[in-house]
Amino acid sequence: MLHLLKIDLKKMTSYRTFWVICGLYFLTLGFTTASGMEILKWLASKGAEFGASININRVPLYHFPDIWQNLIWISGLFKIVLAVMVVISITNEYQYRTIRQNIIDGMSRWEFLQSKILTNVMLSLMSVLMILSIALFTGFIYTPKIEWDYFLVGSEFFVAYFLEIFAFLSYALMLGILVQRSGLTIVLLMLSHMIEAIIKLNIFRSSVEDQIGFLKQFFPLESITNLVPLPFARYAFQEIQDYVALTAVAIAIGWTVLFNYFAYLKLRKSDI
Amino acid sequence: METVLSIQKLTKNFGKLCAVNNLDLEVKKGQVFGMLGPNGSGKTTTLGMLMGVVNPTSGSFSWFGEPASHLTRKKIGAVLEHPIFYPYLSGQKNLELNAMIKGADPGNIPKVLETVELTARKDDKFRTYSLGMKQRLAIASALVSDPIILILDEPTNGLDPMGIAEIREIIKKIAADGKTIILASHLLDEVQKVCTHFAVLKRGTLMHTGPVDDVGKGEELVEVQAYHDDLGVLLQEFMGSASIKKENGLFQVMMKDGYHSKDLNRFLFDKGIVASHLATRKKSLEKQFLEILSDAGHHG
Ligand SMILES: Nc1ncnc2c1ncn2[C@@H]1O[C@H](COP(=O)(O)OP(=O)(O)OP(=O)(O)O)[C@@H](O)[C@H]1O
Ligand SMILES: [Mg+2]
Repeated sequence: MLHLLKIDLKKMTSYRTFWVICGLYFLTLGFTTASGMEILKWLASKGAEFGASININRVPLYHFPDIWQNLIWISGLFKIVLAVMVVISITNEYQYRTIRQNIIDGMSRWEFLQSKILTNVMLSLMSVLMILSIALFTGFIYTPKIEWDYFLVGSEFFVAYFLEIFAFLSYALMLGILVQRSGLTIVLLMLSHMIEAIIKLNIFRSSVEDQIGFLKQFFPLESITNLVPLPFARYAFQEIQDYVALTAVAIAIGWTVLFNYFAYLKLRKSDI
Repeated sequence: METVLSIQKLTKNFGKLCAVNNLDLEVKKGQVFGMLGPNGSGKTTTLGMLMGVVNPTSGSFSWFGEPASHLTRKKIGAVLEHPIFYPYLSGQKNLELNAMIKGADPGNIPKVLETVELTARKDDKFRTYSLGMKQRLAIASALVSDPIILILDEPTNGLDPMGIAEIREIIKKIAADGKTIILASHLLDEVQKVCTHFAVLKRGTLMHTGPVDDVGKGEELVEVQAYHDDLGVLLQEFMGSASIKKENGLFQVMMKDGYHSKDLNRFLFDKGIVASHLATRKKSLEKQFLEILSDAGHHG
């Protein structure tokens, strides 16, 4: 297993594009999540200039335990960057035909796929670790009084976050294996949410919405989004879902398995 | 002799096109096996199936009597068609990757780089290599795992004459170690020089297979020249001549069965003529190859 991961990493670590994209991803992810409070303070000071006073301490964005879901939801927006990297990594193998030589050299097709999946796991874990450390760091800075009893409430969102990233990267990998051309795959990846939304619009017309509306959660991209619900409405005194729904996790796991299985089916059947 | 590769009824269709048709073939240990055939006759497709990148439509093959798997492939060094490498990695890094996949000792890398004379350029990116250097790196990657079988598809494509001769020497050296080599090539001269056995494919069908030594057996061609004005007419009288041609100022006499060059020599001598040139020519593989293909044309 580790050997397969090492093989894939060896391909990437001398590849400048890999460093540029991953660097961009982790830097923007880190800066955005770490500096949210400073941005808020800045907004508040600007607001004060115009006479609209915002009390930022009323908005405990960075207070334990709110911080977990808040930061994780924001971080989820950046996963597309990582997915583009995954697409480039797999479509390169087709464009340069190196997948062919890998198989000739003695990898099985399943091992080849495994090496890519393991990299996805690693990138997902790295995202989790990064957000975990930023959340801990900023949380301790900004939380006025830490209540240890509630400290860990909502930290299960990290499991959901891992799944969110990994499921999406699995989707990107499958798309790359099915389409094989980088440009087209990236466009499809970008449009995926929109395409799914249009399909849903056409199926769930208002007349049938009541009866079959619950089926929406089974759509692949929606299932990924449902893992971490939007938290910010709570600061406008609305109810939000501040826990990870087990059905959402189950559906997302189901799709993740399917994405990788479809990739395997395609890989197994095709001439390379 | 131990059978290394045994192919049974191997077939590959690309849609309506039959690229390989019911191929049966055996390769034994220590053979240097040449795969010949015109463009598009199915050589690369066959090798692709053997190396697991093309899924056979039907039929099967086994390495060492066992069904093929990716583990057997690790023991084979193979280059099919073009050299394939990561363009953004250096030659050295590419070979390290090959070694990792094959489970080979990376300590072999300096040795194989030396063999193909790429040591000086090993840290340059593959993208910057010339065609011949890419081809050399491909051969290096096939050798890196110290394989017991070597599969080379047009290995000398793009090499300079010195490179071609070097590859020939490498192949001969590896064959001398008792290793088995399968070689697809259009350079019939090269095949005749290095191969022990050969097979000819035409539109996916096996037309011929046998030892290279058998080429031209049974028929003897004698080249002769003498200072005599009517040598051509005279040669017609010789009992042993089946046919006579004049090429490059020399007469080429195809001998009937049982007649040899010494009989022709004696005949001329008895006529009071002394030959200034007398040589037995073996039929070239090229000639035999063209015959096999044109025979096939008559039948089908
Ligand atoms: N992926 C493919 N899809 C469709 N047809 C293919 C494919 N690969 C090969 N073919 C066809 O199969 C036939 C055999 O091709 P192959 O490459 O095996 O020939 P070859 O003997 O290696 O020829 P060459 O001497 O030119 O290298 C050709 O007619 C070719 O067009
Ligand atoms: Mg070919």
